[in-house]
Amino acid sequence: MIKFWYKRVRLGVLTENPELDKELAQIKKEIKEKVKKKFSGSLAIRMVDSGSCNACEAECNALANPYYDLERLGIYFVASPRHADVMLLSGVMTFNMTPHAKEAYAQIPEPKWVITLGDCPVMQAPFEKNYAIKAPAEEHLPITHHISGCPPSPLEIIQGLLEFLRKI
Amino acid sequence: MRFIARYAKETLLGFEIITVYEDEIEKESISFKQPIIKTLAKKYPTAIWFERKMHDDFGIIIEDAFDKRPLVHQERFPKDIHPLRKNFNQDKLAYSDYLAYKYEEISGDGVFQVAVGPIHAGIIEPGHFQFSQAGEEILHLEVRHFYKNRGIEKMLEGKTLLEAKPIIERISGNESIAYQICWRDIVLQATKQELPLAIKKRHALLLELERTIHHLTDLGFIPNDGGFGAALAIGSKLAEDARRKMREFTGHRFGFGAIDFKNKFIDRVIFEKWLDELKNSIDFFEDWIMDIPSLWDRFDTTGVLSLRKALKYSTVGIVARASGVTQDRRNNKFYLDHGFIMASEVSGDVSARFKIRLQELKNSLVMMHNFLQEDKSLLELSNINDGEYQSFSESSIGELLMAIDIKDGVIERFYIRDPSFVNWQAVHLMMYHDIIADFPLINKSCDLSYAGNDL
Ligand code: SF4
Repeated sequence: MIKFWYKRVRLGVLTENPELDKELAQIKKEIKEKVKKKFSGSLAIRMVDSGSCNACEAECNALANPYYDLERLGIYFVASPRHADVMLLSGVMTFNMTPHAKEAYAQIPEPKWVITLGDCPVMQAPFEKNYAIKAPAEEHLPITHHISGCPPSPLEIIQGLLEFLRKI
Repeated sequence: MRFIARYAKETLLGFEIITVYEDEIEKESISFKQPIIKTLAKKYPTAIWFERKMHDDFGIIIEDAFDKRPLVHQERFPKDIHPLRKNFNQDKLAYSDYLAYKYEEISGDGVFQVAVGPIHAGIIEPGHFQFSQAGEEILHLEVRHFYKNRGIEKMLEGKTLLEAKPIIERISGNESIAYQICWRDIVLQATKQELPLAIKKRHALLLELERTIHHLTDLGFIPNDGGFGAALAIGSKLAEDARRKMREFTGHRFGFGAIDFKNKFIDRVIFEKWLDELKNSIDFFEDWIMDIPSLWDRFDTTGVLSLRKALKYSTVGIVARASGVTQDRRNNKFYLDHGFIMASEVSGDVSARFKIRLQELKNSLVMMHNFLQEDKSLLELSNINDGEYQSFSESSIGELLMAIDIKDGVIERFYIRDPSFVNWQAVHLMMYHDIIADFPLINKSCDLSYAGNDL
């Protein structure tokens, strides 16, 4: 374990990666303030995959890596819709998942918002409408904001969340 | 003889049932009037999902099956609709009445059921797990999937191979390169062309890079599910580095659109330096994590899949190799010449699956190094010939099978067997000596795809 702490001290903090430049710093600062003001300190997100290819989930998981470290900004992915302010919806809303996605939305306490994540839920990904697909999501849920991309990168997701916070 | 897959296709006179084994393919024709076959599940237990799927897709009846429940079609799916039939063309389906699914359950004094999913607590794909519990102990688990079924097989019918490509690369995001390589091999078979060696090496390099990203992610997540978060910080940092390399080489963080027939420049010096750094980081990680006794306490003997069961259930990939099955689609001359070493463990538990990933990761770095070649090869594709084609690749999860029939220049039948489709059926076997709190850890140690399974 000593080796680990030695490395930890030598490596320092990774999160301020120069590659991600000032823009990210600016966004992060803004997000932090908005979250503080509008959600008294923390924004709770419930991620629902309604039929994705799993790349959108992988990018949401990447938000927790040391480069992005989303939780630092007061934004959390929570384990239950009942703890959430926002539902982040990925995937094409399959025939089999749509009833469950709607149920999850019903379980979120008011006030609540839905953000669509990636091109799938708005039918902009290459998948074509067929018997198994119920998207676009707006036919089933009230969508406040959309984060486009296939998949949107972690940075784009952070930017998208910021736009959402500006909007509401 | 290893059972690989079983699927159906519609012909003019009826259905053809194709059963793929390790070294042979069996075909059986049945008529529309009597669409009846016999089950293989008595000999190969994993055949049952293939057969239940056949029934949902085509209405084929498995006469002597011990399990005739629907698989892909869920509670609200209209009865008597078989979407892969050629005469089914609807692009909209209304929900029908809710008909409850009968789970496999164990009953008895004090035995209770725990239903988990389809939506889970973390950021993961949807699927359902039904446990029969005696206190904390798991008596039985039924894995139930297909919530994500997007009707991919039907969607691709009537498209050319090139039109199908953007969809194929998005069937299972974290295996995208492996899917694209299967597609590439089918294109090459259909055009009767050979791939220049340099391009083949580039593709192989990208496949190893994809494996590197996936394994690094898991090497972080598995300890994290055992309550050891520091590993995730390191694993996810290294995975992000590798993902950025993927973007650098292909213009996309997951390599969507990466497999084509042109070689592109990779700066050898920079890449080799990066490989060396990554090697050092992994050595450090290994040295450190092998020395955390409380973690190995959690990993050892948890979620055991015996060699006998691994073989009986036709498992593939990481799961199979961790139980002592030496099976890997890369075990051929091309890969062996570039440094491939078969990873192998025998204990079949979470530890073994973790260690297999470490072994493979280190081997991938060696191979990526050997696959580097600066060259400007290009392949002009010739015309695509009609025919029945099949290809395999080894994704970061395991053996992937793709089968495409082309008729009049377009796809007549598209079939995929993701490695997850067989491995999911073996997951319940790993649970019998464990408590329910171990489930997330065991599940993560297999890290199977839901999207590739559900299609
Ligand atoms: S938007 Fe693109 S990356 Fe996201 S789930 Fe859909 S296909 Fe995958």
